[in-house]
Parts: sequence; C-alpha cells; structure tokens
Amino acid sequence: MELELKDVSHIYAPGTPFEVEALRGVSLVVEPGEVLGIVGGTGSGKSTLVKQMNLLLTPTSGEVLVDGLDARSLKKSELRRRVGLVFQFPESALFASTVEEDVAFAPRQLALHEEEVRERVRESLRVLGAEELATRSPFALSGGERRRTAIAGVLAMKPEVLILDEPRAGLDPATRQELLALILGLREAGISVVLVSHDLDEVAEVADRVCALHEGRVRAVGTPAEVFYRDPAHAPATVRVASLLKGSRPGIGAPVRFKETLETLRALRGV
Amino acid sequence: MENPGEGTRPGGSFAVSCENVSFSYPGSERPALSGVSFGLRPGEYVGVVGPNGGGKSTLVRLLNGLLRPDSGRVRVVGRDPAADPFEVREHLGILFQNPDNGLVAPFVEDDVAFGLENLGVARQEMRDKVARAIRAVGLEGYERREPDTLSGGEKQRVALAGILATEPEILVLDEPTSMLDTAGRREVLRYLKALRPEKTVLHVTHHLEELTDADRILVLNGGDLIADETPERFLSDADLLRENRLVLPVVPRLALGLGLPPTRLNTPEELAEAILAGAESGTRT
Repeated sequence: MELELKDVSHIYAPGTPFEVEALRGVSLVVEPGEVLGIVGGTGSGKSTLVKQMNLLLTPTSGEVLVDGLDARSLKKSELRRRVGLVFQFPESALFASTVEEDVAFAPRQLALHEEEVRERVRESLRVLGAEELATRSPFALSGGERRRTAIAGVLAMKPEVLILDEPRAGLDPATRQELLALILGLREAGISVVLVSHDLDEVAEVADRVCALHEGRVRAVGTPAEVFYRDPAHAPATVRVASLLKGSRPGIGAPVRFKETLETLRALRGV
Repeated sequence: MENPGEGTRPGGSFAVSCENVSFSYPGSERPALSGVSFGLRPGEYVGVVGPNGGGKSTLVRLLNGLLRPDSGRVRVVGRDPAADPFEVREHLGILFQNPDNGLVAPFVEDDVAFGLENLGVARQEMRDKVARAIRAVGLEGYERREPDTLSGGEKQRVALAGILATEPEILVLDEPTSMLDTAGRREVLRYLKALRPEKTVLHVTHHLEELTDADRILVLNGGDLIADETPERFLSDADLLRENRLVLPVVPRLALGLGLPPTRLNTPEELAEAILAGAESGTRT
C-alpha cells in the first residue's frame, strides 16, 4: 500500500487562546515495503503526524491518500485495519485475562472464523517471540513482554502499514535491539513500517528513508545519509563522529549504520 | 549479602536501606526480588540497571510503601514505608516513567503546586516554591499552559517540577528520561546533577550513559542484586553487561571496536580526537 500525506496541517484547539499549530503543510509518502523513520525533537509534531495516517486525527487542511484514494472515502474500521498504529506505552490498553485473549480481541471484531483468529494470534505471538506468554495474565508480565503483547494485538489485524510510535521507550537495551530486528523482519514480510523515534542511533540502524520534523514542518526527507549529513548537529552518534573526521579525512564517505561506521573507522586507523 | 553495602560515603546513617528484602507478586511462581541488601548514604547518587522484569520497578514500589516486603527490612530515613507511607513520602519523591499518569490539574502551575497543596503550605511560600521548581526544569513561560497540550518530554519536566516543589531529600527516578528527546534528556540530567550532593538520588534507567558519573551502579536481574560497582568497573565488564541485557551506547561501543578505552570516550568529539591522535602516531612509526 502507498500512503500519502498531501499538504497536511493540524491545529489543536483552533480559535481558542490555546491554539497550537502542530503540523504545517506536511507532504510525505510512505512507500510500499519501506521502513520510514520519523525523527524530530520533543513537540516537533511526530505523534500528531502519524495520527493523521489512519485519520485518528483529521487534518485541519490537506489530504491523506491510500493508493491514490482519499482515505476519508474508506470505512474507518477498514482504514485502521490496514494502517495499524501502536501507541507510546501501548500496554496501558491491555485488559483481558490471558495474553492470547488480549491479542485475539481485535481480529475477533473482523467476523473471522475462530480458527483463523487462533491462527493469527499464534502467528503474531510467534513473530514477536512471545509464544510462551500465550496463557499468562497480561498483568503479570514485565514491561518488555507487555509491549510485545500489545504490538502482537495490532499485528494480528494483518496491517499493510504498521506505525510504531516510540515503540521502545522504557525497554531494556537488549529488548530494544530485538525490536529493531523485528522491524526488519516485518519489512521482509512486505509490511511498511513507520518508526517514530527520538533515538537517532536506533533509526539509523533500520530506516530506508528518514523524515525530520521541526516545529510541525518537514525539515528534510531522504535517505538516512542525505538527511543526517546535512545537519550533523541532529544526527546519530555514528554520523557525528564521521562528520568530525571529514575535515582531515575527506575520503571517509558517509557511513550511517554502526557496522559500516566501525569498518570505515577501522580502515582509517589501519586496524 | 547480609548487610547493606558500605556505600561510598562512610559514617552517618543510611538515607535508604534494604536488608535481605524479598517480595513475590500474588500468583507468580518466582520472586520479583529475593534477598536484596544495599544502603544509600545521604548525598549519594546511585544508579539501578537491569533487564525488564529484573525487579527495578518492584524495588521502587517497596521504597514508597506501595508494596510491603514478604521478608526483610526496608527503611527510608529510619522509617518503614509500608507502615508510615505518608511520613516517608514527605522525604522521598518518585518520578515515574510515564508522566501522563501523574498530571491532574488544568494548568502547569497548578500541577506543580498539587503536592504542596496536599501538605498545607502557605500561599506565598507555595508561589515561591512553584516558581523555583518550574525554573529548575526550564519551563518558565509554561505556567498557564494546559498539560494536555504539552509533548511527552515537556510533561515529564512538569512532573519533575511537581516533585522538586515539595523538596524531598531523597529522589527516586524511575526511567525519568525514557520519553525525552536528546536535548530534553540532556537538560533534565543537568538539573538532576545540580541537585547533587544535597539530595540522595536513586536513578533507575536503561541508559548507561546517564550513569557514567554516578557514585555506584546496582544491577538487578531476575530479582537478585547481581552487582554493586563503580561505573568505571561496570562499563568495562563486557560479560556483566551482556548477562544483564545491557548494551553500551554507540560511542563507547565504537571505541571498544577500535581498541580504544570505552569508559573515557563518551562523546563523538572525544572519540574523533582519539582516532585522529591514534592515526597521527600510526603514520609516524
């Protein structure tokens, strides 16, 4: 699926003294099967932006297009099945008595055969490495286990675009690295992933393209190297190190991911 | 461990101590904490790390009396938090991970004043304390904003201001920066550092770079206190890091991959300088 935002603006509390213009004329395409990183400081509009993508928030002006069609012409339930959104701290929405019941809740609303629901639940938990949690209570899980359960619930809807809004906040570093591997696995399976994160080091590892927001506007969009080398002050640590060396070592190129950066630096040091 | 750790500041009583503390959640097969002992001296800044499910959040809940240990003794300024929760909470403030759960009032300044109102502080004194706390987290000009219109990072700074306003001598920070961007995190950390050494701080985090100048780092894994080490020793122990599902930040990890000392190279500038110095000496030999 191709998801396009055309000149989208969003104003909170319009016409009141507390009016906040959160998005200003944002145009952006989520290409089929890509990992798109959305970065920007606190308050730059990242969360507001992704909520436009499944019309959880309606743009004050501008359009959202799904394969060229106005998203408003689709049934909301259909749109939200195809564009799945995992919120910050999704585990606060867990409620059922077992993990499998919780994951089954949303697909059960789709009028599927019970067997199909069971299969989707099993598959989602498997993808997330959470099969062993199936019969446990969501309330007796650790933070990382709850996060995975909540993501499994959205995956069980078989979305074509999966939006993860700060999916790894509060998770331990090893669990965070596992989630990065999961994102790459979803892309393999043909699902587009929109990853909202303020952690540039993590975006650098998985994104095919990056969109940088600043005060509700698109500051830059392109490959990670294009976006990050244009503004090394707002770049991952790998890019900042390489940029600092560029003056005296012009041949260093533009490494972004950890592994390629380490190899480049090793060559530089002659190690 | 039978006794609370010695701490880096000998003498005087502990601000916080746990002696052989165990706790299990009802219906859970394994204990969330088993036989944990440590002590915090007044003015110490101590980090707590470990995997999700390791026992960090349980420890925090035991310290403010939300949970009562199955066995062992918890003491905060000499009191039992489970028996005297309100007394203890005047001395110990907790900043939780998700600020959305804690913000209650219509405007930022009311939210910051909320704790003081509960303590019955006089009006003028309250104004001064609220203004000071708002300044401490860099939110001047936000006094009349509605918390709902703030981003996650800004909300977290409001929550921190609300705790600072009641002037507790002990602060427990439960992943206080997990919702902040890099700039916001740096700013909050700067204000937290400015609290040293007047406040005793227990700082739970997944971000090892926040603890490089802590007095000590405690490691909780599977309910056990695995280590109580200086940052220097802990960050250079690759096995201990891996066993506890911890990952070094990018810059020290690059340094390690290049055969450079990881604990002294924390910023891109420091690493770039070390690489250039190494390359120079390399070409000369």
